[in-house]
Amino acid sequence: MDVFASLFMFWLVDMAHFDCMHITESCSDLHSNPLGGNTAAYLLLIKYWRRYRSCLAVDEMGETSSVENEFDDWFIESLKIYNNIHEYQLEHPTRVIEWTSEKTICVAGYSSDKNEILELLLPLKLFADDNQGLCAERDFKVVHGGFSDGSIHCLKHIPGTRCVVTNDGFNSNLQVWDLGGDDCDVIKRTGVLQRKSASSDKGVKIAPGLTGGPCVLHGSQISDIQLTELASGKPLYSLGKDIPDVLSSLQFVSDSVFLACACNGDLYVVDTRKPSALQNNPVGGREGVNWCMGVKTDLYSSDPSSCSVARLSSACQVVVSDLRDLRAPLCQAQLHVQRKTTSDDFMKVTWAPALDNCLAVSGFDGMVHIYDTASWRPELMEFQPLFIHRGHMMSDNEFDTSSAVVTTHVWHPSRPRTVLSAAVDGSVHVWDWVDKATASC
Amino acid sequence: MPEIKVTPLGAGQDVGRSCILVSIGGKNIMLDCGMHMGFNDDRRFPDFSYITQQGRLTEFLDCVIISHFHLDHCGALPYMSEMVGYDGPIYMTHPTKAICPILLEDFRKITVDKKGETNFFTSQMIKDCMKKVVPLNLHQTVQVDDELEIKAYYAGHVLGAAMVQIKVGSESVVYTGDYNMTPDRHLGAAWIDKCRPDILISESTYATTIRDSKRCRERDFLKKVHETVERGGKVLIPVFALGRAQELCILLETFWERMNMKAPIYFSTGLTEKANHYYKLFITWTNQKIRKTFVQRNMFEFKHIKAFDRSYADNPGPMVVFATPGMLHAGQSLQIFKKWAGNEKNMIIMPGYCVQGTIGHKILNGQKKLEMENRQTLEVKLQVEYMSFSAHADAKGIMQLIRMAEPRNMLLVHGEAKKMEFLKDKIEQEFTINCFMPANGETTTVITNPSVPVDISLNLLKREMALGGPLPDPKKPRTMHGTLIMKENSLRLVSPEQALKELGLNEHQLRFTCRVQLQDPHSDPDTLSRIYTHLKSVLKGYTIQHLPDGTVMVESIVIKVSSSAEEPNTKVLLLSWSYQDEDLGSFLSTLLKKGLPSGLSSM
Repeated sequence: MDVFASLFMFWLVDMAHFDCMHITESCSDLHSNPLGGNTAAYLLLIKYWRRYRSCLAVDEMGETSSVENEFDDWFIESLKIYNNIHEYQLEHPTRVIEWTSEKTICVAGYSSDKNEILELLLPLKLFADDNQGLCAERDFKVVHGGFSDGSIHCLKHIPGTRCVVTNDGFNSNLQVWDLGGDDCDVIKRTGVLQRKSASSDKGVKIAPGLTGGPCVLHGSQISDIQLTELASGKPLYSLGKDIPDVLSSLQFVSDSVFLACACNGDLYVVDTRKPSALQNNPVGGREGVNWCMGVKTDLYSSDPSSCSVARLSSACQVVVSDLRDLRAPLCQAQLHVQRKTTSDDFMKVTWAPALDNCLAVSGFDGMVHIYDTASWRPELMEFQPLFIHRGHMMSDNEFDTSSAVVTTHVWHPSRPRTVLSAAVDGSVHVWDWVDKATASC
Repeated sequence: MPEIKVTPLGAGQDVGRSCILVSIGGKNIMLDCGMHMGFNDDRRFPDFSYITQQGRLTEFLDCVIISHFHLDHCGALPYMSEMVGYDGPIYMTHPTKAICPILLEDFRKITVDKKGETNFFTSQMIKDCMKKVVPLNLHQTVQVDDELEIKAYYAGHVLGAAMVQIKVGSESVVYTGDYNMTPDRHLGAAWIDKCRPDILISESTYATTIRDSKRCRERDFLKKVHETVERGGKVLIPVFALGRAQELCILLETFWERMNMKAPIYFSTGLTEKANHYYKLFITWTNQKIRKTFVQRNMFEFKHIKAFDRSYADNPGPMVVFATPGMLHAGQSLQIFKKWAGNEKNMIIMPGYCVQGTIGHKILNGQKKLEMENRQTLEVKLQVEYMSFSAHADAKGIMQLIRMAEPRNMLLVHGEAKKMEFLKDKIEQEFTINCFMPANGETTTVITNPSVPVDISLNLLKREMALGGPLPDPKKPRTMHGTLIMKENSLRLVSPEQALKELGLNEHQLRFTCRVQLQDPHSDPDTLSRIYTHLKSVLKGYTIQHLPDGTVMVESIVIKVSSSAEEPNTKVLLLSWSYQDEDLGSFLSTLLKKGLPSGLSSM
């Protein structure tokens, strides 16, 4: 690293002879990665360069640099396109945002070392509907916190309890946590659910059970999906079919029916009351592409067939189907996304709970895309998003924002256009965009 | 053991009354002297009776330090110094010293003139109190007395806000006051060096929050102003002459320029000049950008913002007006408010906290009908917006500051008994230091281990080395003998001989003597020989001599035998040894008390 730093210093001295315009030009040169394959060094160089450039911006006062301009442009634009936007900076980045009540969310670190789990109270301003103007409180409050020795890749709240279940992404054990009550602000680990037949070191996906006693559905492959009672650790149901496909998403759609999406795009509908009832619905996609799913459940309807499933591929394709016929897509789209990462780790698609036909996609770059599926058709076409949240790429801290990737996002359960999103730099944004259709009329 | 004691008399919340007592190295310091804005009775001031039940505070306090000009940090100062009684020095930074009396006077007017309270401090008391103030410069070490020194660091919370380091000998405490770790449009970020204080004292009000970014707060402000102006409404922003007003002006100026806005922006008469005056005086306290450009272009001279004239309030069309005072209790801001309140197209933006009883406080509580003088009622139809621009460090900022200062102990003042176990655990685990959270009136005692440097003479070290034993190991302490000389503020460890020589003293011998009775039916010289033989056989490897003068010497221990004529068989042994041979001497006396074995020849 030192070699590169000194090399960089040398290059800086060289650069100092040029004027501002030149530097902006060489910026684009730089992006073609002059260091060949050495990405780490290249990123470091970019980072130094950005810092140096921001130094310039301060030094040559009065003449606004391109960084400041880009920044200000977005700032001014944000006045028009958002009703509200709040930007927070966590100490450590999170890849989970989970609602634990109407007003609280859980976030947790995913570093390889020690991590924190935090339960945050949403800013009061987001709840003051009548007199929003009189409420100045716009900060998150840490109401409970705890420490985890491992990384937290997956975190699910068990409805009706103060329990969350987590997994570190490396083994199939589940950690069970008590979020604590009013008298104590510490989140304590209360137990571990160990799987005897650890079939994978890839980590597991978790889904909370919807009814009955607190229970959790979990698995790393289709074959080892199991429903476990939380208190006793007793298995209530296991799939037991020999399908070694890696699991990407898991969700209950009714008391007894759940959906499981495999990384290859296959979608399974399983009824826990009828162990043999297993329906496989391949998406018919290409080889080597990873898939995940988002499910829209109607909590007021007991009929699971009314729910829509969106499957998102690492090739930026979305296939929407409903439970009546999962084989034939209702509609699909090729998304207009330029991938910035090679990893499919953060891929996420979710349906808006309080808005018809809208879904959000993130994990490919520093943006969250909102799409309206109403205009989509059964045949594959490219569609433009309804809205793009660029905020995570416009952060003003030292982090190199060009490499920002959104790690996760969730919708507010009742406010139609409010989304919470997090990125690798530790930023968490809460935003609700201006609907152009209603704004214009 | 040396110890530092910290007792918060009050702290917490936005409207709290910060006041903390620190005892360090025999000195007593009061940190901040704030007022609680939510109370009208005795509870608004800190409980000074904790310090003394009667009489003045002067003899109990070595100094008072004020961190910044907010009333919750300095509001009780005239009460303490003039009504309770304190004549010692009060330290504050230059900007705080300039702004603090203005705020106190403002507050006094509201309390006494508006609410008609008596038993409150007077204008004269504020003046007298300010005479006791000694100004502080950043990073300048100020000697309060021979032993106590204080040093101010930049806190970035408001103009002139400081963190203070208090030092007595090698013990030290840092008090943060309110601070901000992210620079904004007119102030820089808090900074402190790695001063490793024994205790870092901070407030915990914001320690459990995750702050929304400044940018989003500004965005909201601009959005509200913009929307109102677009629909042809008027915006009133009541401000205090100094502080956030300048920041908001810089913001609006930039926005107007960029958006090419035409609506006029006005600033109350006198306000700009006053503000400019202060900012010129205290330019070093603003952020780097403002400081750097100050020479070429004064950031506080605005292109779009013009001086306000009272006749402008009736002009048609949109406008934005910054007017004093900030709490709408009198003056220009109140006059304009009365004119504009009836129109729902207009908007008032309150950028700060308002004291109870003021119109500002009432409209922030959603009151829609206000009773004015002459029994008139004023209907509030305009839109009321409350925006907090206060710059506080949040959970992350506190961790950053701990990382910067590397304290040995952390103390969080919270005011009310709130559970903050997680924060405590987090600090203790991450930095492996103790974290204390005393409630108001509760004292925390921290034992300090100040290191005392001592010079050791080379000769003594060489001698110690010659004695052999394991080589020095930093992990294992080793005892070493020598004489400690404390002279002219230095400590030296030297050999006893050298100490005697240096100090011109004669060596004194300390000897122990002891008599042991023994039944031995032999003559005195025979008994002595028997003792000699006995000792020779027991104490192998010691020098034992039978001297012709009728004594036995074991190393330096002398043994003599005597008996009385009446009882020739009862021998009295006389043992005498020096202090240095105490171990061997007491061993011998114990041994001889047991008597001599029977099979000994007298040789």
